Amino acid sequence: MNPVTDIYRRLHAATRREPLLPVLLVLLLALSVTYHGFASVTNFRNIAVQASPLIIAAVGMTYVIMTAGIDLSVGSMLFLAAAIESSHPVVGLPTAAVFAVICATGVGMGLVNGLAVALTRVPALIVTLATMQVFRGAGGHITGQQNINLPANLRGIGTGSLLGAPTPILLAAAVALSGGFVFSRSTFGRYIQAVGSSADAAVNAGLPTRRVIAGAYALAGLLAAVASLTETARLGTVQPSIGQGYELTVITAVVLGGTSLFGGRGSIGGAVLGALILTTVQTGLVFSGTSPYVFDIVRGGVLLAAVLAAGARWRNLAQAAGLVSRLVTRGTDGPTA
Amino acid sequence: MTEHHRKKPKGVIVRTSGVAWCVTMVAAASLGLVACSSSANSGSAGGGSTAGKKYTIGVSFDLLNAIRQAEKSSIQSAAQAAGYSVVFDVADQDAQKQASQIQDLIQTQKVNAVIVIAQDGQQIAASASLAKAHKVPFLAIDRSIADQQDVTFQITGDPVADGKAVASQFLAAKTRPLKVLELVGGLTDQNAIGRRDGFNAALAGQPGVTIVSQVPTDWNPTEALNGTSNALQKDPAINAIYIPSDFLLPSVQSALTAAGRLAPIGNPKHVFMVTIDGDQNGCKAMQAKTLDADIATPVADFGKQAIAAITSARGGKAVTPKAVEAKGLILDQANYAATSGQVWGCASS
Repeated sequence: MNPVTDIYRRLHAATRREPLLPVLLVLLLALSVTYHGFASVTNFRNIAVQASPLIIAAVGMTYVIMTAGIDLSVGSMLFLAAAIESSHPVVGLPTAAVFAVICATGVGMGLVNGLAVALTRVPALIVTLATMQVFRGAGGHITGQQNINLPANLRGIGTGSLLGAPTPILLAAAVALSGGFVFSRSTFGRYIQAVGSSADAAVNAGLPTRRVIAGAYALAGLLAAVASLTETARLGTVQPSIGQGYELTVITAVVLGGTSLFGGRGSIGGAVLGALILTTVQTGLVFSGTSPYVFDIVRGGVLLAAVLAAGARWRNLAQAAGLVSRLVTRGTDGPTA
Repeated sequence: MTEHHRKKPKGVIVRTSGVAWCVTMVAAASLGLVACSSSANSGSAGGGSTAGKKYTIGVSFDLLNAIRQAEKSSIQSAAQAAGYSVVFDVADQDAQKQASQIQDLIQTQKVNAVIVIAQDGQQIAASASLAKAHKVPFLAIDRSIADQQDVTFQITGDPVADGKAVASQFLAAKTRPLKVLELVGGLTDQNAIGRRDGFNAALAGQPGVTIVSQVPTDWNPTEALNGTSNALQKDPAINAIYIPSDFLLPSVQSALTAAGRLAPIGNPKHVFMVTIDGDQNGCKAMQAKTLDADIATPVADFGKQAIAAITSARGGKAVTPKAVEAKGLILDQANYAATSGQVWGCASS
């Protein structure tokens, strides 16, 4: 096959699989042409590093939203994990032990959400709204609402590099790849999709829906904690306002990436692209030198576009389902005229 | 009714009682936690009871961070010196919650005076009216209140003057030309806007100092880190940064470190930086000579003047002036040794 044709065929397939990919490419191209200095390896690496914590948290959120749930506590989990990391009993431990403690904390926080949602059947919105306050309050209690500097050994995960590649990028890539693999190739991933598509059908099919839901939230908690480790390492300090409003950014990235807020449909690759687009837009705004007020307008516009796009996709699906239903009914009843 | 349907309610009852147990346990644990921490958050400075016997001041803060801790200490020490006790609440940046807390302080705990740091300068007017209706002096510190009709006394910083003071440091800098990155706080926050406007007005038309980039941070450290990194990427010639609050300083330092630009004064790589607030971050950076100046908020004055106003009101005297705007104290490398003792963050750094 002609190499050009082969590349075109591959790009076409990738575009069909991830419709956001051409959007990101066009955005990068447009910004590179418009602003001097944007198209540089350093800047692209800068964008990827900034997007890394968001990608990590968005992968976890994708699992939750795929179950038709939502996790509003992700920003507070990020802060509580950071607060525990900076606390006296933990910060002095060996680096690996600190990371293990924080990851375990993340799983614990996620399990609180997951078990509450799965066992009580209280809407996830309400449960995670409550835990959002609980986790942030606990974080504030631990830090005394003070800024706490992190020692150098805990900063490597955010500022170091391995074989020339920044650690946050490697970590985000590892999370995205393994998240995508679990999502598409594992039993757990298929269960997630089944529960999100129809919880009742999943129960009738004998799937362990409660364990699946609790698992999705636990995974989201774990990845929020990993995002926290990366973010605080980049900042070099734990501050009381860390993670405030972060849930909106994470949810925007996931929804922008094509995951349905009604569950059952989505992709990890879409969430990664969503996070990269949000970060690229943010960087582009700084390069544009526009008024600070425009930043909010653009960010709100992206969120609105994501929600409208999600709604349009849902309507298309509903219309398609309605059409199929009508065809089936006609087929059963025979011709009416 | 079938057997299946008769059994279902039993399961529901069992589940409901389980949930009720959970709720009870969580509530009990929460109350225990509150009881353990109440001495830290709601303790009375004078050691008196919350109502009745001793003159009691109810305090409601919008949030609790480093500067609020210093403001809390200033109120507590001034109240203790005057023989008053203090009941302390935090609204967690929720204006409705703050209104409820103030209502509780006035109507249930029957405090004798109220000091607030308002989460919302407009909404708090209803709380001030409630206090006036109960003949309780109502004082505001740090954040101004839009409608001061029912406010007994108000003392705030002067964000515009602070912004101008920062600009004066830039104008006095030896390095020329200065290419300035200006970080902006929350765009809906009056302090952030005042600090921005004062700075911009003072630099307008001044030769040799150019604002090359304005980046909003929404008072978010991550936004400050990313915004600074992006701005340095866009314009590597940036050699000065205006940071509107010390608590964003670590983010800027991280961005400069990543870009290989964090260097002390005198080093050719040094980026000229000035911040506002005077917290521990600022004082440490001043000591390390990576920060050129810090405009320190006169936190101690807030508590002293508010308690003095309460004493005046209690004695039936008119409180004059009703509103005070306290300018920040300029802390620079030249006066650091002599002045740092007056800066609230340096005392604890």
